[in-house]
This record gives sequence, C-alpha cells and structure tokens, in this order.
Amino acid sequence: MKKQRTLWNDGSKTVAASLLSILMGVIFGGILLVLVALFLKMPLASAWEGFRIVLAGIFNTGRNYDAGSVLTFGFNPRLMGDMLFRSTPLIMTGLSVALAYKTGLFNIGAPGQYLMGTAASIMVALAIDTSVVPAALVWLLAFLAAVAAGALWGCIPGLFKAYLNVNEVITSIMTNWIAANLVTLAFDGSPFINLVDYGKTGFTLKTSTNGVATAKLGMDALFGGSSANAGFLVALVLAIVSYVVISKTTFGYELRCCGSSKSAAKYAGMNEKRSIVLSMAIAGGLAAAGAALYYLQGDVEFSWHTSMSLPATGFNGIPVALLASCNPIGCVFSGMFMAYLNISGNQLSTFTAYNEYIADVIVAVIVYLSAFTLFFKGLMDGRRKAAPIHHQPGAAPPPAEPAREEEKQS
Amino acid sequence: MAEKDQSYVVEMLNITKVFPGIVANDNITLQLRRGEIHALLGENGAGKSTLMSVLFGLYQPEEGEIRMDGKRVEIRDPNDANALHIGMVHQHFKLVECFTVLDNIILGVEPNKLGFLQKKEARKRVLELSERYALKVDPDALVEDITVGMQQRTEILKMLYRDNEILIFDEPTAVLTPQEIHELMQIMKNLAAEGKSILFITHKLNEIMEVSDRCSVLRKGRYIGTVDIADTSKEELSRMMVGRDVKFAVDKSPAQPGETVLQIQGLTVPSKAHHNNAVKNVSFSVRRGEIVCLAGIDGNGQSEFVHALTGLEKASAGKILLCGQDVTHSTIRQRGRAGMGHIPEDRHKHGLVLDFPLEDNLVLQRYMEPPFQKGGFIQREPIRAYARELIEKFDIRSGQGPVTKARSMSGGNQQKAIIAREIDLNRELLIAVQPTRGLDVGAIEYIHSQIVRQRDLGKAVLLVSLELDEVMNLSDRILVMYEGEIVGELDPKETTVEELGLYMAGAKRSRKEGAAS
Repeated sequence: MKKQRTLWNDGSKTVAASLLSILMGVIFGGILLVLVALFLKMPLASAWEGFRIVLAGIFNTGRNYDAGSVLTFGFNPRLMGDMLFRSTPLIMTGLSVALAYKTGLFNIGAPGQYLMGTAASIMVALAIDTSVVPAALVWLLAFLAAVAAGALWGCIPGLFKAYLNVNEVITSIMTNWIAANLVTLAFDGSPFINLVDYGKTGFTLKTSTNGVATAKLGMDALFGGSSANAGFLVALVLAIVSYVVISKTTFGYELRCCGSSKSAAKYAGMNEKRSIVLSMAIAGGLAAAGAALYYLQGDVEFSWHTSMSLPATGFNGIPVALLASCNPIGCVFSGMFMAYLNISGNQLSTFTAYNEYIADVIVAVIVYLSAFTLFFKGLMDGRRKAAPIHHQPGAAPPPAEPAREEEKQS
Repeated sequence: MAEKDQSYVVEMLNITKVFPGIVANDNITLQLRRGEIHALLGENGAGKSTLMSVLFGLYQPEEGEIRMDGKRVEIRDPNDANALHIGMVHQHFKLVECFTVLDNIILGVEPNKLGFLQKKEARKRVLELSERYALKVDPDALVEDITVGMQQRTEILKMLYRDNEILIFDEPTAVLTPQEIHELMQIMKNLAAEGKSILFITHKLNEIMEVSDRCSVLRKGRYIGTVDIADTSKEELSRMMVGRDVKFAVDKSPAQPGETVLQIQGLTVPSKAHHNNAVKNVSFSVRRGEIVCLAGIDGNGQSEFVHALTGLEKASAGKILLCGQDVTHSTIRQRGRAGMGHIPEDRHKHGLVLDFPLEDNLVLQRYMEPPFQKGGFIQREPIRAYARELIEKFDIRSGQGPVTKARSMSGGNQQKAIIAREIDLNRELLIAVQPTRGLDVGAIEYIHSQIVRQRDLGKAVLLVSLELDEVMNLSDRILVMYEGEIVGELDPKETTVEELGLYMAGAKRSRKEGAAS
C-alpha cells in the first residue's frame, strides 16, 4: 500500500512541477499583455482579449463582427489539425533529447540532425520519379533516408564521446553548424531548388510537386482545412515504442544503466561505449524522422539557405523533453502544448493588436522555468531536499525491523 | 547535580533531531569533561554524525540544548562553533592539496597587515605548537607530497592554531598504518594532558579501549549509555553498540587448498597519476578453498591491480590465468563467465546503480539471461521473485523491499546486496575488495562469515583489505603489497600485527619481485 502511494506521489509531483512552470509562464504572459497595453495606450479590454487567445488559441473561431466584434470560441478543426501537424516534429525532437538524456547524454545536436533529415528526405522525395516508382514507396524511402542521415549525424558526437571522451555538447554544437553549411552547399546549385517560382529562390520545391505527400488517413476529414496527416500517428507510435524500449527491454536497461552510472555499467560488463554511440544514433534518427514527417507532408517549403541559422524545432526539442521530464509519452503532450502556444501566437497577431512574439515570450519563459522542473519537484518534496546531505549513508531510514525493546537499557 | 555539571566543558542535553521519516537523534545526552578523551561509539546510522553536526552548527535540533561550561549556547553555524573553540578533524581531510602545510593551517584566519600576509608570525606559532604537542610537520611541504599521517597532523595543527579547546576526531584511524595509529593515540593523550577535551568518533573498539577515558554509545538514534573505560570490556561495548553479543574472532577451520584457480604472472599496470608503473611485475596464485589476502596501505597499487585483474583497466604486461583460461585480454563479461566474481572497492561508483531499484541492482550482470530476459524484454516478475529470494537469504534490509532505490539504503545493506549478488553468481573466484569498509561490527561479522563460507564451498577467495584485523582474522595467506610490488608473503598464524605493519610500511621485505608463488 505504502509503496503504491509513494510511486504515485512521485509521478504526480513531476507532472505538477511541469504544470507549475506552464502556469507561471502563462501568468508572465498575462502581465506582459497588460504592460504592452499600458505602453501602447490600448484599452485594458484588449489585454483581456489577448489573454483569452493565449489561453484558448486553438478554440478561437475568429471575431463576430455583427455582435460588436467580440472574440468567438468553439471547436476549430483547422487550428486543431494544424496543432497536431506542428506538434509532430516537436514530439520527435523532444523524444530525441529525452532518449539521449536517459543515457546520460545531452543531445543539443537535434537541430543538426533535424536539418540532415530534412535535406535527405526532400532530396530523395524529389529525386525519384514517381511515374516510375510508386509515390508511397518513395515516401518510405525518403523517410528512411532521413532517419539514416540523422542517425549518422547523431553518431558522430557519440563516437567522440565514447572513444575520445570529448563532451557531446561541444561536438554537437559543431556538427550543428557543419550540418547547416553542408545542407546549404548541397542545395545551392542543385536541381532541388525552386525553379518554378523564381520569386523565391531560397526555397526548395514542395515534395507534392513530385506527388509525394504523407497519407492523410482520415485526418483531413476530422480536421478540415488543416495540414493534419498520419504523421502525427507515426510520432505517437514512435513515442510509445521509445517508452517500451527504454523501460521494458534489456537494451533499454543497458542504456539507462549507462546513463545512471557509467562505471557501474562497465563493472557489470556492459559495453558502455557502444551504448553511448547507439543512444546518440537513435536520438539523431528520431530528430531526423521528425523532419521527414514535417517536410514530407507535401506542401511545406524548405528554406534551404540555412547556413546562417539552425531550425528552432531542433532546439525546441530540449524544452519539450524537459517539460516531459524526459518521459517519452510525456513528450507527446509537451510537444502538443508547444504547438498549441505557437498557434495561439498566430491567432494573437491575426485577431488582436498584439503580435505573435508574445506567445514566443511565453514559450521562452516556460522553457526557462522547465529547467527548474526538478527544483520545483524538490520544493514539493519538502525539507528533505533542502536539508544538508548526511555524512553517513546509514542515516537513511532505519531498516524495517521490529525494535527490540528489551535491549533498550543496557 | 548542578555542582557536578561545572566540570563538564560541553553538554548536549536531551538532543532530538528529526528528519522526515526518521528520528536521527532521539533524546541524546552527551557530556564531555575537560581534559578527557570521550569516545562516541555506534553503528552506521546510529546518529553519531548527526549529533556532531548539531554540535558543529550544521543542524538545528528540534529539542534539547547545548551548554558550554554550564552556560547555554546557540550554535547556528560552523562559525559559531569556531568562536566557541570547537574544532573537527573530518574523516576525509579538508586540505588544499597544492598548498603548503603552513598555508593550509592559516587558511581562513590568515594573519595580515592591511591585507598583506604576515606569514612569519604564523610560521613561528605553528612551529611552537608543533613542538609543544609533538606534531611533526614540515611547514613548507606541499600537502600532496606528504604522508597521510602528516596530513592528519596538519589538520590537528589547524585546530590548535585556532585555539580550539574541544577537538572532534571523526574516524581518524581509518586511513593510517598501525604505526601511525600508535602515534596518533599518543598525540591524543598529549592533547588531553594539556587540557584539551577530545570527542573521538569511531567504531574500532581496540582504539577506544586504548585511549579513551569514557565512552558514550548510541544505537539507532537512541542513547544507550556512558561507561568508564576502566570498568568495561570490548565485549560489553559491542553489546551496547549492536544490541547482542558479537564474535570478534572469525570462526573458521584450517584451509584445505585445492587446485589453482587464479594464476597471475608478471602483471604490470601503468599508473594514471605518475609515469611509474602502479603495479610492478606481480605474480602469485590463488587456490580453491583458501582466502589469500592482499594487504597494504591504501595507494600502494592495490586498486590498480584489482582493476587490471577484473578488466576495468588494461594491464601493460603480464598474464592472468583463470581456471586455466587466459583472460588477460578478455572483456569484463568474458571474465565473469570464465568464473570471476568481484565485490568492488567503491560500492557507490562500481558496485551499484544508485538510482536503480534494489531488484535491478541484484541482476546487474544477469539481466540478459533467462528467465530475466525473454525476447529482448526484461521480465519483471522473475526479477522480483529472485530479488525477494536474495533479500530473504542474505537478510538485506530496505524500506520497500525489491523496489527500494539503492541510494536510500544504508551502507551496510548496500554492501550486503552486492555480496548477495556476487556470491549468488556462484563463480569460482571471488575477489572481495575492502568488503567491510565503513561497516559496523554486526555487518562485518556477517560478511566475514559469508566469505569463509565461500571458501569452505571450495571457491578461491582473493581479499584486498586495508584493515589489519580483517587481514589477520580472515586470511589463510597474506601477501603484502608495497609501492606496487609484493614484498612479503606471510602466514597469519605465525606473524604479528607489528611485523605486518613493517612490511606494509616498506621497512621490511622478504620476497623478491616477480618471484613465483
């Protein structure tokens, strides 16, 4: 009985800590809305409107101009579907960071892996003529090519870490920029740049021009007018698979063991070097799969001139993972939440005097606070965490044995 | 009563300190007389450290009060303690390695004029103190270059330099050689004779009997009593500490060695710290049914030797034969399968994954074997059943049974878990490195009996220990390691602790390096 309670407490504390970060981020956003309203001498009512959109952005159905242009709320299938679609790559990069973290690695290389996945999937999707090879097969090949490219890109910092003991954060940052320049180089002058629409030279063709697009699988019927497709379901399945692999298999046991204590893993005869490389490769594959699921949607254009920037989706995997306390299933929810805020930001700029950057600030605050998730959890644990650490490990709760009263005197 | 209290320099009266879920100190009273050596005895987790932390101002007690010279004092932090002239030598020294002895002594209370150091006066005072209390140190030597004994004397001088009157020694002998322990005992007596009051925390009964005037005993956070050493015996003290009779001598029959299980030929291991080899051309063998003990002072190559033997590090030369199989270049797992079990020196670093539950730790080398694994999946039920079986068989105590986080278990039970795991692997060679370090007499007794049992079951046991009592009691054959070489092979029945100490200190050697055993 007692065991059950403590386990539940721990899990719920983690969730509560994440929710607390979110709540504080939203409150901060609210204060910001009021401040902006004051500075721009807007009526406070507009701040209240902005706040309502921040809170319930995807349920916003526009304004009713007949009834004094009040904001109307209700089920909005387009926004709901777009949220699912935009959450897909975030869930994947979140999984990437979370899985690496379980093995004790900080995968800040997700942007580079994501970028390599983007390039590989678009090139394969556009290079194979769909009049010869079935489009579905091309889609699959493009997806697999992306995963392979991302895994390879993740592997590199893993190899450095395992065999040369170079910190993976440093090598990941380097491989990120190598990827950015490599991808720019690969697209520059390649047949994949947009030759149709000369006004947009920095963009590639959409994969749908070659007839390659992710199956809708009825998602378009559910969420009319949105970009939702089966990609979200793929992400969902991959999250569940990640969870099972990490917590139920011997392979996951090895990864967690290495993450928790490299020396103990080595002592137990595990190949801790192999675990590090594999873990980074898997993380890279997951991030790249996110890119493939995003760009193979068909109608998304890729701005290939990336040598000056790295995709934010890659970096956003870090807050997604942190907010989920690195739980793969949790990443689905935190990824959806990030997409939700993103859409709210769009609504904000469309229907109010505010621009979407307010939503970005809220995201930034939550990201900042999500790093404190563990700290909040510690606060909820009470004084135990706050108290100085004991000198003796033996000061832990005494072994469960009946106190032998007759020996008390002596 | 009130008049008698005047003779106490420190009184901790009815101290109660509660942590969530545990009463670390339950109504404990400790009274220290001026000029006495007062031992504080208790098992791990008995509350000694908590009590000393209260005295040092690191914790605030829920109940009770501290009096000095009969007057109530508030100690809110270590600075308060310092102002009240309370000083402490920690078990692990708090010295700056790359500073000189003198710099370390004056650290924090540097004499200065307008911010400029005035080391001359400081040196004079340190030398005076050093002479007065017979604490030999070289004030200009770097701490990293001096012996452990001298580091300890530096710590003591640090307290004296701060005019501390109440000196707390936290397990001071754990790292010393027999000769150094003897010197320390003499120093403590000198200090007491000069009017300093000493609190001596330990669980080594011999030392208490030798040096203390009185002894207070704690058990499971409760105060058991204070006795005059003159009126008591080792047996009584241990009964007070553990709550039952404890056997000191290990019960064992003469060894009946059989065939050779482990043969080491010319093993050489490079050092990570310096260019020299840490282990130099070591050869010996261990046979079935015997406990061979590798004795020596910490840092003489034992750790490197064990790491090379178990595969954690690479040897640069030599050969390891296990059950006739050459495992010199095998992986750790291959060595395990060839018959090697290893109770590691550092149970937190190597022995356990502290954030894993106990059950996962108990299958650390077997998680991939059926029935714990099926089709690549961990089988929770068989693992839990197996964990329950080991917990029962080896009496591993933990808050929540198999799912207890290893980190939350007491040191003794963590060690029991490792020993249970390694013994249950049922391998031909058991390497036990400092298996009882930091444990109390009750746990030591148990672990020793388990090791002897393995021997009697026909296993070969290689024990690596720094504890002289353990070396003398448990082993059938002693090999002494000094500066990476085996300098002597002794029979515990024919040798003495003093002779062993001479070998360990490098003052005597009887065995040529590289000689086959």
